[in-house]
Amino acid sequence: MESLITAAARALEAGDPLGALNRVALRNDAPSLALRGIAMAQLGDLAKAKTLLRSAARAFGPREAVARARCVVAEAEIALVSRDLSWPAKTLAAARATLASHGDLANAAHAGHIEARRLLLLGRIDEAERTLAAIGASPLPPASLVVRELVVAGIAIRRLKTRDARAALDRAAKAALQARIPALAAEVDSASLVLNTPAARLIARGSEHPLLLGEVERLATSTALVVDTFHHVVRRQGTAVSLGTRPVLFALARLLAQAWPADVSREALISGAFGARHVDESHRARLRVEIGRLRTQLKPLAEISATKQGFELAPRKTRDVIVLARPVEEKHAAVLAILADGEPWSSSALALALGMSARTVQRALEELARASKVQSFGHGRARRWMTPPVPGFPTGLLLPGPLLKA
Amino acid sequence: MKRSAAEIVTEYGPFEGVEAVHGVTYDGTHVWFASGDKLNGLDPANGRIARSLDVAAHAGTAFDGRHLFQIAEDRIQKIDAATGKVLATIPAPGGGGDSGLAWAEGSLWVGQYRERKIHQIDPDSGKILRTIESKRFVTGVTWVDGELWHGTWEGEDSDIRRIDPDTGKVLEQLDLPAGTMVSGLESDGGDRLFCGGGDSGKVRAVRRPRRG
Repeated sequence: MESLITAAARALEAGDPLGALNRVALRNDAPSLALRGIAMAQLGDLAKAKTLLRSAARAFGPREAVARARCVVAEAEIALVSRDLSWPAKTLAAARATLASHGDLANAAHAGHIEARRLLLLGRIDEAERTLAAIGASPLPPASLVVRELVVAGIAIRRLKTRDARAALDRAAKAALQARIPALAAEVDSASLVLNTPAARLIARGSEHPLLLGEVERLATSTALVVDTFHHVVRRQGTAVSLGTRPVLFALARLLAQAWPADVSREALISGAFGARHVDESHRARLRVEIGRLRTQLKPLAEISATKQGFELAPRKTRDVIVLARPVEEKHAAVLAILADGEPWSSSALALALGMSARTVQRALEELARASKVQSFGHGRARRWMTPPVPGFPTGLLLPGPLLKA
Repeated sequence: MKRSAAEIVTEYGPFEGVEAVHGVTYDGTHVWFASGDKLNGLDPANGRIARSLDVAAHAGTAFDGRHLFQIAEDRIQKIDAATGKVLATIPAPGGGGDSGLAWAEGSLWVGQYRERKIHQIDPDSGKILRTIESKRFVTGVTWVDGELWHGTWEGEDSDIRRIDPDTGKVLEQLDLPAGTMVSGLESDGGDRLFCGGGDSGKVRAVRRPRRG
């Protein structure tokens, strides 16, 4: 390797990106471009870093496949950290295969972790797990281990397996200590917070209290009839009725469950489920129809009987009815839930992750911004949204190492 | 052109605290190799580092019989081998794109890595006297018995080749096993060529074929 490149790479490894830039700032050969890209990424200018790494990947010759693949992986990581989820996954997969076939297993694993994190953010849990499994258990450097365990924990949390999540976070914390990267340790800490912050509210017999994730998990073994507002299902142990595509029916079920064992008046049901302010005869007719539909849907789990002033729920095979709700309910709770990770998100990435149209997400963000619940920075396509500042949140940028040797 | 597999006679290292080898030379007793912020004097008889000098060492290394020459950043340092003191510096011809370094016939020979060139320069002024074109990225240069040898590394392949100093034509080529890098090259004056092993942190001795 060349003299100045060696000197610049050593400066980067020693955490001196300015020292590295000083040495290669005016050079445009492939290794210099890659070094400048990494230095800019470390300095936080992700847009510039991305352009430089892309030029570097182009500038490396056809025989320098490994160097080129490392640039691609670095660019993918920058895309992930900037929450640009539409970044081409195929390109990353190809780079990963190149690295693996040339024996650069550590960077191949790094590429796999980036892929898994992206899938996790997109809510594609099974695919994330498969990707992780494909990396295998070859010995990894501590920093890579931290990332791997964070993904394992993320999968477990989304599957409500708190014990697995805790174990993975413990392993992540140990590896972070070994890696001696403060940003990684902070990331593990903030991930652990999820397990110790209320994840849901339990509403039963007219009163409510917060639930930790572990308590939510234990509910799975409860014999109660559960109206689950996270998944829009009504269930009792193994039996579940999904009302995800029937929002009015789900709203009625929830109103009835919250009041149980009392009944709910027709007026309350109409205003709660239809959003009507003045109740007229057509609303009463519609309520009869919708209750009839709900009755059919819930047949295996509960009966709905008419009372003098409205309707009441009568669960089968259990003496308990509970509602599982989000800790804070508001109109754009799903958007806020994703932004709660403290990272900057593009509206298109949010739309991808939420499975909503870009326009809907845009409207939600603008409404939330007016209420000072979110803030944005950047303009046009580079615009990013986040919840009000989480001080010193880590970027999670590890970058393939060693990018430039050989 | 004769082409054969390189015969690796001995492997030294990896050594503690050495992440990569950037250049090698031989002073008749020790194999000196550059490891970023140090020059290390390896005793080839027992494979141990006998001495080390604290000096910036990012690429090629050479020895003129009294001084060590070492490329650091974009210059070549002339070092007193006894004390490790930098006596003089001259600009490197590649402006930092320099890789291998050799001493022969009163001149310094410097590889310019990505430009695929070898420059002959005046060791006092750094002036380029002439330039030989190679076909591959140059990682190390050495002269022995009037033969000019240099190491290459491009893509995932390394080899050691003897070239015609006038035309740059490849006369002989020793291929290293895939993924084995040559970073820095020096002859022991006999039938061994010492090669830096790049990221492996190793130094290897490869047999130099006898002619005829």
